[in-house]
Amino acid sequence: MMRRVMSQALAAMGVLVSTSMLAQPIRIGAPQPVTGPDAPFGDKFKKAYGMALEEINAAGGINGRKLEIVIEDHQAKNQLAATVAEKLITEGKVLAMTGGRASGQAMEIASVCQRLKTPYLVDHPSADMITAKGFEWVFRNNPTGSIYPMAFSDFITNFPGAMPKSAAVVYDNTLFGKTIGGAVIKILKAKNVPVVADEAYPVNTLDFKPTMTKVKGTNPDYLLLVAVAPTDAVLLTRHAREMGLSPRAFVGFGGGFGIADFTNQLGPLAENVFSSAAWSGNPNDPKTKTFYEKFHAKYDIWPHEHEVEGYSAIYILADAIRRAKLTGDLDADRDAIRKALLATDMITVFGKVKFGNWAGPLGDAYTNQNVYSPEQTVMAQWRGGQLLNVWPKAFAETTLVFPEPVKK
Amino acid sequence: MDTFAQSLVSGVLTGALYAMIGIGLTVVFGVMRIINLAHGEMVMLGMFGAFWGQRLWKLDPFVSILVWTPLMFLFGMLVYRFLLKKIIPGGELNTLLYTAGLSLLIANLALFAWSGDYRTISLSYGITPVRPLGIAISVPLAIAFVLAILVTLALWLFLSRTNLGRAIRATSQSAEAAVLMGIDVERVAMVTFGLGTALAGAAGILLAPSLYLYPTVGELLIVKCFVVVVLGGLGSVPGAIAGGILLGVVESLGAVYVSSTYKDGIGFVLFLAVLLYRPSGLFGAGK
Amino acid sequence: MTRKLALTLAGVAVLAAIPLFVQNSFLLHVCILVLMWTVLGAAWNVLGGFAGQVSFGHAALFAVGAYTTVILFLKGGLAPWWGIPLGGLAAALVSVPIGFLCFRLRGPYFALATLAVAEIVKLVALNWESVTAGSVGYLITTLPPVRLFGLEVNWEKKLPFYAAAAALAIVALLTTGWLRNSRLGAYLVAIRENEDAAEAVGIDTVRAKVVTLALSAFLAGMGGGFYAFYFRYVDPDAVAGIGLSMEMVFIAVVGGLGTVGGPLIGAVFLTAVAELVRDRFQMGHLIFYGLFMMLVIRFMPEGIWGRVRRLTAGLKAGA
Repeated sequence: MMRRVMSQALAAMGVLVSTSMLAQPIRIGAPQPVTGPDAPFGDKFKKAYGMALEEINAAGGINGRKLEIVIEDHQAKNQLAATVAEKLITEGKVLAMTGGRASGQAMEIASVCQRLKTPYLVDHPSADMITAKGFEWVFRNNPTGSIYPMAFSDFITNFPGAMPKSAAVVYDNTLFGKTIGGAVIKILKAKNVPVVADEAYPVNTLDFKPTMTKVKGTNPDYLLLVAVAPTDAVLLTRHAREMGLSPRAFVGFGGGFGIADFTNQLGPLAENVFSSAAWSGNPNDPKTKTFYEKFHAKYDIWPHEHEVEGYSAIYILADAIRRAKLTGDLDADRDAIRKALLATDMITVFGKVKFGNWAGPLGDAYTNQNVYSPEQTVMAQWRGGQLLNVWPKAFAETTLVFPEPVKK
Repeated sequence: MDTFAQSLVSGVLTGALYAMIGIGLTVVFGVMRIINLAHGEMVMLGMFGAFWGQRLWKLDPFVSILVWTPLMFLFGMLVYRFLLKKIIPGGELNTLLYTAGLSLLIANLALFAWSGDYRTISLSYGITPVRPLGIAISVPLAIAFVLAILVTLALWLFLSRTNLGRAIRATSQSAEAAVLMGIDVERVAMVTFGLGTALAGAAGILLAPSLYLYPTVGELLIVKCFVVVVLGGLGSVPGAIAGGILLGVVESLGAVYVSSTYKDGIGFVLFLAVLLYRPSGLFGAGK
Repeated sequence: MTRKLALTLAGVAVLAAIPLFVQNSFLLHVCILVLMWTVLGAAWNVLGGFAGQVSFGHAALFAVGAYTTVILFLKGGLAPWWGIPLGGLAAALVSVPIGFLCFRLRGPYFALATLAVAEIVKLVALNWESVTAGSVGYLITTLPPVRLFGLEVNWEKKLPFYAAAAALAIVALLTTGWLRNSRLGAYLVAIRENEDAAEAVGIDTVRAKVVTLALSAFLAGMGGGFYAFYFRYVDPDAVAGIGLSMEMVFIAVVGGLGTVGGPLIGAVFLTAVAELVRDRFQMGHLIFYGLFMMLVIRFMPEGIWGRVRRLTAGLKAGA
């Protein structure tokens, strides 16, 4: 009789303990630029996280517990990113982190998470070194800067007649621009394509006409433009056209070439420009399509790479947290999530995800980088004001236009 | 030769717009001996004026310049009357620091109000450039160039033919003598600051279709402005014009024949060199 | 016991006591930030407040310190506690030719020149990749193991960094105090009031200014070295941007130019404002920085601490 009472009491206590834990939401931290010049990007992630959050909580949360995403403002400053990351981890007691947006801030966040032993799932920042420092607490879903141009490489190799006879490469002097510019030049050299112009420009240049004049003098077969800032992307293209450059193809690398602004500002000048690396899921996949429509219905904008990456990151974390056995002890739980992430093997609207250690195209030794990243690059093309995937064929939404029709 | 001609023309056109930005600053310096660090933000406000004018009322920027310039003039006078007037007696450095604070305030208020989104002004006639003699010239830039010349001409007429203009020039030469001649120096200062602000705003409107706008663009522009004004000699309007065109050409040719990476660096080195060795400007016109 | 000595000891005692009472890791982080900004504000104050030379390019000196410290550690294996003072030294050395060059200019012209110099330094940091690793920057992943008082220092905790920051802040403020009472300090007052008169009296104004700049650079460079040590990631945007230069100016001006305690007060005030605004109001804190700068220059040009001292001096005189 005593034993029965005891066991019932114990069971009751167990229920009490687990329900009190059940009552506690699962918190994920996400530093983003909420104010300051990068705020528009932070807003994209806010929307994407918001939608994922709603869906997951509506479906019952994670093992019955509500999910909460805490966004903190880092104003695109490295120092602040470190500050808010620490705040989220020590004060906010978050179980995991995501976000960052730009590579400089992501680097600080990764450093903090590694030291404070909290899992950090990189959703968008692309600098190779974030997952090339051997940080076992840092994971990345999206492709790195050096992986970005792989679809381009595939295109010029496999599309008949696409191999450039010569190429001019113009890139900005940020980490992003230099990584991608470097990767592109490496690809071209490996295929014996003469690089007739190699121009690095300072970010937020007011005037590209001189650079384009110089490039025009080299008469390139392909014009490859790298821009981390959307304004540079627009001006580069505009001034290139103004100076009368007529290569067989304009290829843009960088977020700015893939957002709605590009076509809004340039109108007909944007037609037929290729945008490489703005991977935003496979548009031929019905699940991805459903996601696009739902997002558009909710926020009245079409999601592109930032939104898809943010949305998927939350699902990846949710999946790992679901599998992790959480005990309420913060350090143990964070480690459990880390272990669960190591075992991740799933499909999101972004694509397949599995984290592994492998060597990148420029030789970086990656730790916990999504092994499917090389497949997650695509060439898209601006057609009639819409950005449509055109290569590889499996992800193509339309047939591509190449070479660029000569204007009279 | 083609490349050279093209980059020269591009440089001159862009340089003229740099000059426009610089004229406002140099006029204010000439009369009041203050370097207005918030000048870049005045240009930014002009740019946004052109943008909202087009977005909200479908006004072509080159038309809305007629609306915004007088408004900026008023704004400048108010800024002087209610903010700067009490600060200037505190000394050059205090004023410098004050305008630095003002610059930060305006830029960040704009950032808060209009968000950091980059915007451009698309003009239907801005898409295809004209190509006289095979040199590509963007239409909005060409119009801006012509208007800049007209504005500068109007400024010159104002300064040389009107009483107020003469008062401004007199005060610029010697404030003490001006007072002795019975000129209301305070009024002159207020008008001059209004003028400088109006010129900045106009420059912004002319620039806007050829560039992109965002609230913190003033940071970039003020630096170019300083280079222009120092090259030409602080306080000299013709100096600012020459300095602007020179900077435009140096940057353009520099980007083509040296390297895009160091193009800005060339400007800074030139700037430092002039500051140190020819402080009255390349043409000796400064004060 | 003089008032100054008492104040100093009290200050050190308070600094030492804080980590005993504040266990919260994030709050300690904020304290470290305040101390770092105190050092930077003091650095600017030495040149701007005491010598009256406004510089908009102090970030360049900060950057030299940061890069020196991080490069000496990552490439040379030299521990940061040696690297930080060496960083300060490097910044001081770099500042000497800059000083000789730029001090021919007076007032706003000097300020403009410093702006250009800072931009050039940023360009160099960005493009001299073999030395600065350009936009990739340097990341410190592990700090050297060290034993102090028989205990292994735990780099995961805030305490070692707090101690380092506090030490640097004390050095900065003591240096400022020494400067104020020294002969150099007297020369600087003369120069600040009327440079030509000072020359006429026989003061070697250029030399005085260059030495002051070197001192200011030493402090700023150490601040930069500390940044590298604590934040562990150095890239051109983070250490050489004009925003950094402006924040140093604000801290010194709002706190109180030409005072010893000013930078500390300025750092406390502005860091508090920044955290509050960022947290509660989701606004850029820079709006308030600009506003306070304007308000201070208009109504309290001697800064917050300057005003406090004036009031307390008045009280004492009245009593």
